[in-house]
Amino acid sequence: MLNFVLRRLGQMAFTIIVASFLIFAVSEWTPGSVARKTLGPYATEQQVQILTEELGLDRPVVVRYLEWAGNILQGDLGYSTLYKQPVAPIFRDRLANTAMLAAIAFAIIVPVSILFGVLAGMREGSLLDRVISVAAIICTSLPEFALGAFLSSIFVIWLGILPGTSTLDPGSGWSIASQLVLPVMVMVLYDAGYVIRMVRASMIEVMLAPYIRTAILKGLSFPDVIRRHALRNALIAPFTVILLQINYLITGVVVVEAVFAYPGFGRMMLEAALNKDVALIEAGALVAVAIAVTTQVAGDIGYMLLNPRIRIA
Amino acid sequence: MADRENRIHPFIPKLVDQYEQRKVDRREFLRTSTLLGLSAATAYGIVGRIDGPGFVPQARAQDATPKKGGIVRVSIRIPDLSTPHIFSWVYDSNSVRQCNDYLTRTGVDNITVPWLLENWEASDDLKTWTLRLRKDVKWSNGEQFVADHAIWNLKHMLDPATGSSVLGLFSGFLVEDKDTGQKDADGNPVMTTDYWDANAIEKKDDFTIVLNGKGPQMAVPENLFHYPAFMLWPEDNGKWGVGSPGTGPFDPAVIETGKRAVFKAREGYWGEGPYLDELHFIDHGDDPSAQVAAMASRQADGMYEASVTQYEVLKQMPHLELYQGVSAQTGVARVHPIKPFDDARVRKALRLAVDTPKLLQLAHLNIGAPGEHHHVAPVHPEYADIGLMQQDIEGAKKLLADAGYPDGIEAEISCKQDPAWELIAVQAMTEMWKQAGINVKINVMPSSAYWDNWTKVPFGFTAWTHRPLGVMVLGLAYRTGVPWNESNWSNKKFDELLSVAEGILDVEERRQAMVPIEELMLEEGPAVIPLWRGMFTFWDKKVGGFKQHPTSYIFGEQLYLNEA
Repeated sequence: MLNFVLRRLGQMAFTIIVASFLIFAVSEWTPGSVARKTLGPYATEQQVQILTEELGLDRPVVVRYLEWAGNILQGDLGYSTLYKQPVAPIFRDRLANTAMLAAIAFAIIVPVSILFGVLAGMREGSLLDRVISVAAIICTSLPEFALGAFLSSIFVIWLGILPGTSTLDPGSGWSIASQLVLPVMVMVLYDAGYVIRMVRASMIEVMLAPYIRTAILKGLSFPDVIRRHALRNALIAPFTVILLQINYLITGVVVVEAVFAYPGFGRMMLEAALNKDVALIEAGALVAVAIAVTTQVAGDIGYMLLNPRIRIA
Repeated sequence: MADRENRIHPFIPKLVDQYEQRKVDRREFLRTSTLLGLSAATAYGIVGRIDGPGFVPQARAQDATPKKGGIVRVSIRIPDLSTPHIFSWVYDSNSVRQCNDYLTRTGVDNITVPWLLENWEASDDLKTWTLRLRKDVKWSNGEQFVADHAIWNLKHMLDPATGSSVLGLFSGFLVEDKDTGQKDADGNPVMTTDYWDANAIEKKDDFTIVLNGKGPQMAVPENLFHYPAFMLWPEDNGKWGVGSPGTGPFDPAVIETGKRAVFKAREGYWGEGPYLDELHFIDHGDDPSAQVAAMASRQADGMYEASVTQYEVLKQMPHLELYQGVSAQTGVARVHPIKPFDDARVRKALRLAVDTPKLLQLAHLNIGAPGEHHHVAPVHPEYADIGLMQQDIEGAKKLLADAGYPDGIEAEISCKQDPAWELIAVQAMTEMWKQAGINVKINVMPSSAYWDNWTKVPFGFTAWTHRPLGVMVLGLAYRTGVPWNESNWSNKKFDELLSVAEGILDVEERRQAMVPIEELMLEEGPAVIPLWRGMFTFWDKKVGGFKQHPTSYIFGEQLYLNEA
C-alpha cells in the first residue's frame, strides 16, 4: 500500500517536471514577445529591448527554466509579468474562488448523478431510462458556452431573475449566492450528464448479476433489492469517474469562468496563456497536475477499499 | 517677462476675423486659438461674443446642476495599473484618469484645451512652448501642484528606461536619437534617445515651464494628453495604486487586477464635479457575451467600448442608450515598396479595387465613414475634401497591366485576429481585390505576435488610433525613416509638403496645403484605408453626463445619476 502511494508520488513528480519544461519550451516558440506585449504597439524597439533585458528574457530557455525550478523548490512561485506582482497571492485568491464554485457543483453533481443514474439503470429500456438517458446525452453534448448562452437568455434576458455575470462583486444589487447559480447550473448540467451515464451503465451491469436475480427470486421487494444489493456494488466503478470530475471542476472550467466573468483559476490561466505569463502558467500547471494525480491516487485507493477483489489481489 | 505674459500670438486677431466671417468653424477656431495660447475660457468667451449667448461649452451645458451622489459601474478591463507612464492601451489609462490629471485635455469635440495648465504659448516658429500652470491645483495630500512636479513627470516619461510611448511623440522636438558608439551583435550601431539640449525642459518659475524644441512641433498640447502622460506624484517614483496622491476628481480606493477598481470622490477637487460618490470599474474579461450579460442584468451601467458583435443585442435592451462618436480610428492595409508593390500603379490598383462604403457596411455596421486612403479623416480640422475614390475594377486591371502584370498578382496580407471588424474588413478587401486579379492570401496572427512584427511584415493590416490632427498621423506614419513608418514609404515630395503643412497654423491655409498631400497619397501612397470607425458604446439611461470620446476616454467627474 505504502509502496503504491510512493510509486504514484514518484510518477507525479516526473509528470510535473516534464510538463513544466514543456510549458517553458512551448511559450518560447509561440510568437509574440512578453516585452512587446507589456509595452504595447507604440513602444520603440529600444524600449522593448530594455525591458527584455530587465526581465532576463534574452537568456536561453534552459537557464530560465533552471532558475525558475530552483525558486520553486524554495517555495517561490515566481513573478507574474501580467499582474506585475508575485504569483502566490493572485493564485491563492483565484484558486479559492474556483474551489468554492467546484465544491458547490460537486456537492450537487454527485447525488444528482447517482440518483438519476440508478433510476435509469435499474430498469434498462424503460420509459424513465429513455427520458433520463436522452436528457443526459443532450446536456453533455452541448458545449458549455452554448449552455451558458442558453441559460442566460432564459434567466437573465427573458425572466430577469438571475445576474448575467458572476464577478463576486457584492455591490451590484445581486447577492453572491445568486451570482453563483448560473455558473453552477452550467457545470452541473454539463458534467452530470456524463456521470449519470456512467452510473447507469454500472447499474445495468449489476442488475444483470446472478445475486440480484437471487434476491428478486427469494421474494425481496424491488426497492429493497436496489437499496441493499445493487446500489453499493453499482457505485464501485463510477467512484473513480466521480473523483476525476474534480479535475474538470477545478482546472477545466475555463469556458464557464470566461462566459460568466468569474474571477477564478480558469480565467486567470486563459489570460496568462494569452499574455505568455510563464510563471503564472507554470504555477497553474503545477496545481493542475497535482490535482490530477492526487485524485487519481485517491480514486485508486478508494477503489481498493471498496472492491475486495482488487484489495486481495 | 511681464511683456511675454501679456503678449498674444500674432495670428489670433486674424483667426477671430476668420471666425467672424465663418471661414473657420467653431471647432477649428477653438482648437487653433487654444493651441496658440488663448485660455479655454477666453476662447469660449469669444465664441460666445460672436455667436451670442446661445452657445455654452459642453461641460457646462446641463440645464441644472446635476444631482450629487450615487454609484456608477462601468464594464472595462482592469489590467495591472501600477506603472501609468508605460500604459499601452487606452482602457488602462481610463482608470488612472479618474484620479490623476494631464496638463491638457482633448475633449469629446476633438479640441485640446489647457487642463492643469492655465494656458500655453507657442513661439512663431513653434519651437518654443511656454506652459503656465494653474495656481489653484492641489494634490489630494494637500500639496500644491508646481512646475517641479510637472517637470519630474515629463523627464520620467522621456527617460528611455521608463519605456513610455510619450518618448516617441517628442522625438525630434525635445529628444533625439543618438549613437552610443557601440555596435550590436549584427554590427549595427546601438542607438539611444537623449535630450537634444540640456535645457530642453526649462523651469522659469514655480508655475512656468518652457519647452525648448530642436525643431518645430505643432501638436505639443495634443501630445501632452497622450494617454500615458499623467501627472503622478513624484515621490511615488512612477508607481501608482491605492493611496497614491493625485490631482484628479477621485481617489483610488480599491484596485484588484483582473477584477475591479473602486474610485471614491475626493474633497477639494479643483475642477467641476465629481457628482458621483463612487465610480466602480468592473472587469468582465474579454468574452463579449459576459459584458452583454452584465449590461442586461444591470450589473454594469456602462461599457468602455461596444464591439460590432454586441451591437444588435445591446440595441434591443430598452434601458440602454446608444452613444456614438466620430473618430479617426481606422485600420490601414499598407505595403512595403517591394515587388510588385514597388510600382505606384500597383499600389493605386489596390485602392481602386475596393469599395469603401461597402466595406464600412460589411465590417463596421455602417457606423463611421467610408475610408479615404490619404489617412486624413473628416474629423481632423485640416481635412480637405477631395472626393471619395470610387471603386473602379477595370481601372485597377488596366493599371496592373500597365505595370507589367496583365495576369494579376499574388500576395499575402498579415492581420490580427481581433477585434473582429479588422479580420472582416481584410476578408472583404481580399474579395474585392480578387475581382481585379489581385489574389491575396490572409495570414491571421495573434495580436501580440502581430504587434511584434507590425512594421516588418511586407503587407499588413494595422489598426491606427485616433489622433486629433491629420498632420500628426501623417508625420508619425508616412514620413521617411520615422519609427512608425510601417510601410517604409519614402517620398521626398510628400515629406516636403508635409513639413510645410505642419508649419501652418491657419487651418484654412493648412487645408489648402493638405490637398496636394492627399492627392499624392491617393496616386502613389502605400495605404488602403477601408473605413473610419465610429466609436460607440451603450450606457444605462439613468446615467447622465456621458459623451463618446473619439478615443473612448471616460471622464468620471462629468457623470451623474438622473433623477428617478
